[in-house]
Amino acid sequence: MKQDAIIRFERVTKQYDGVAVLDDVSFEIERGKFYTLLGPSGCGKTTILRLIAGFIEPSEGTIYFHEKPINHVPANKRQVNTVFQDYALFPHLDVFENVAFGLRIKKMKQADIEAKVKEALRFVNLEGYENRRIQEMSGGQRQRVAIARAIVNEPEVLLLDEPLSALDLKLRTEMQYELRELQRRLGITFIFVTHDQEEALAMSDQIFVLNKGKIQQSGTPKDIYDEPVNRFVADFIGESNILSGCMIEDFLVEFAGKRFECVDKGFRPHERVDVVIRPEDLEMTAPERGKLRVRVDSILFRGVHYEICAYDENGNEWLVHSTKKAEVGEEIGLYFEPEAIHVMHVGEADDESDEK
Amino acid sequence: MKKHRTWANLYLIVVFIILYMPIFYLMYYSFNSGGTMHNFKTFTWEWYQEVFHDDRLLIIVLNTLVIALLSAAISTVVGVMGALAIYYVKTWRVKNALLALNNVLIVSPDVIIGASFLILFTIAGVKLGFISVLLSHIAFSVPIVVLMVLPKLEEMSPTLIDAARDLGASQWHMLSKVILPFITPGVFAGFFMALTYSLDDFAVTFFVTGNGFSTLSVEIYSRARQGISLSINALSTLLFLFTALLVVGYYFISQKSSRLYGIGGRK
Repeated sequence: MKQDAIIRFERVTKQYDGVAVLDDVSFEIERGKFYTLLGPSGCGKTTILRLIAGFIEPSEGTIYFHEKPINHVPANKRQVNTVFQDYALFPHLDVFENVAFGLRIKKMKQADIEAKVKEALRFVNLEGYENRRIQEMSGGQRQRVAIARAIVNEPEVLLLDEPLSALDLKLRTEMQYELRELQRRLGITFIFVTHDQEEALAMSDQIFVLNKGKIQQSGTPKDIYDEPVNRFVADFIGESNILSGCMIEDFLVEFAGKRFECVDKGFRPHERVDVVIRPEDLEMTAPERGKLRVRVDSILFRGVHYEICAYDENGNEWLVHSTKKAEVGEEIGLYFEPEAIHVMHVGEADDESDEK
Repeated sequence: MKKHRTWANLYLIVVFIILYMPIFYLMYYSFNSGGTMHNFKTFTWEWYQEVFHDDRLLIIVLNTLVIALLSAAISTVVGVMGALAIYYVKTWRVKNALLALNNVLIVSPDVIIGASFLILFTIAGVKLGFISVLLSHIAFSVPIVVLMVLPKLEEMSPTLIDAARDLGASQWHMLSKVILPFITPGVFAGFFMALTYSLDDFAVTFFVTGNGFSTLSVEIYSRARQGISLSINALSTLLFLFTALLVVGYYFISQKSSRLYGIGGRK
């Protein structure tokens, strides 16, 4: 695993005027994987990207590229290329010259340039657009030109800074598939920045969830969705019911005024914990058959399912996703398996990350 | 509403007539064989012939053109570098201070600039003549070029520069392949502005010309004061047409560049 690491961050901090945007972050990026940096705006995800690209230098810590420190290597000497959020295509050049830009700087032969640009454009399904002007291209096409311009230089790592945020929903979903496919075909590392959790879950091999300049959690999409380490991650990735509770002993947790069997262990007895149950893991039943009794407060039709908002007798709010309909004001029972309960330490990685 | 508009149009027409009347009056009498600015007798090219046979005048025209082209070219180079320097200043306080210093030079009266140059050249021991005129023309053109180029630079998305660096461009490549092509319309606008400012400058030039060297505007002034020959009218007409031609040329260049970039050229 270690020898596959292309990029390594070692306790990297980036400050602007004394304010840390990135706070003591360490991680590794391996060859040939699709990574996503996910977080709300201002969480430091773009800062990481700019550090890797070389547009800014870390205030503290070291960035390694193939185990060589590259803190002071300027952007034009790095084996990485970026697809920018606003595409940053050169308006005075046509599609061919935009893609050929990097190759011309390397003083490559004209015949080689032509062959490579053609191939890159074929990769992004833009054959025959060589002589188009940038102004004549649609948003989705510009996006592809930007990708072609980056991959034609054969970088070891491709950085993508929220490249899909300017596209409409349908095109965005299409491009998600295409990007994933492109990454598989090229076999290079992609580092993708987004604030859209669905995008992150759908595309990545590995997700880093960031908040306030720190990595909250890293793992596969399934890990992060099923086993969020704290309230922030659980809340940011998908919708969830998060309740304060108390871990009575191994496999027994108390919340909403009741004790439930669960599958988590290794907590101190009577430790205060946060409990997560995903809305789709809650099943509506008759009141007497459920583990909890709740009263339906409102109901929304979401297309694939109904989103039901209900309150139990202690006033806790419960969000339920169900294909079955319920009536407002009706009393229903909620049933869930012990596996549906996920117990988290309070504030892990948020305040007590040093202990981890 | 409609009536309102007619009055507005009428007002506009009157203003333009007042502004252009003296020029056309002057042009009209340049074709008068009577030799005065009243009583138009018959049509003649006589005054134009006189202009083209006046060797001294032709040399002065040549001087004026050489000064204009040289000063415009040099001040464009200097001005573009200045605009780039101001663009790269990070602290906005310093940036605004530099910009203010630049703008003060544009609005300050020509007489003061001319007088100060005269003092400077006298102290520095520069002989008044071609060099002194050229230097002073460059000096008052540079701020104009800066003012034309800077908005173009600010218009450029900073990620374009990031993108160029990302693709391996050195500082020089960035300048020559991205920044300069992007600001070309502004550079042309600056060059043409500098050219016209230099061509029609009178006050500054009047201070710093020495014996044996003169530009057209100074020459016309001294001849008009004597007020004998209508060749002055002919010469002024030619000059006016030349300037008009420059304006038209500039219009086509800005048209072309705005089509090239898909955005309005000069606003």
